[in-house]
Amino acid sequence: MSFREKIHWVTLVTMILAFGWYFLVYPWRIVASPAGVMATAGMLVPVTIAIIVAMTVATAFLAIRSPREVHAREDERDRNIHMRGTHFGYYPLVVGIWINIFLIFWGIGQAEQLNLMIATLVVAEIVRIGTQLYLYRRGY
Amino acid sequence: MAKPPFTNDIRTLRFLAGEMTQGDLGDRVGVTRQTIAAIEQGKYSPSLEVAFRIARVFGKPLEAVFQWDDAGD
Repeated sequence: MSFREKIHWVTLVTMILAFGWYFLVYPWRIVASPAGVMATAGMLVPVTIAIIVAMTVATAFLAIRSPREVHAREDERDRNIHMRGTHFGYYPLVVGIWINIFLIFWGIGQAEQLNLMIATLVVAEIVRIGTQLYLYRRGY
Repeated sequence: MAKPPFTNDIRTLRFLAGEMTQGDLGDRVGVTRQTIAAIEQGKYSPSLEVAFRIARVFGKPLEAVFQWDDAGD
């Protein structure tokens, strides 16, 4: 497994764990109140820090284990796989944004909008990274 | 993922070229070892440029490295 592929796995697992925790622990009973926005802000800080720390530690660990691959440039296959992943990640992003637009007209609260946007981003990222990992594994 | 409609003899040519490794070939062509492995296994269709570069490394014409598979057409 290449260095890039390992980094993709780390990113995927980190995203699922960090945002899985966020959506499980979030106080949904106050999501319609102004306090819901503060809860979102308060929980995004540890999530962001956890992702940055996990990614930094994992990247450093993997770089030490395979130093030769760290400086390897992205080749045409990597670029194709990345473009394809981004292409597939675009669809959930668009769907999520349209749902959010309709729900804003419907009159949902700020914290609900925020959480829907976060969920949209997370799903789009998981689809993007998941597609790239699938293509690295199964061929492209 | 569908296999490309052509096969290749890269593995044999590497062996005949002094047991050249996938990494060595990748370095000379400008792609990663994983990409050479994927091409050999028919999991990735290289660009025309990379295909020509691989053929040039072995000093062979393109058709000696990649063969169109009529059965897979």
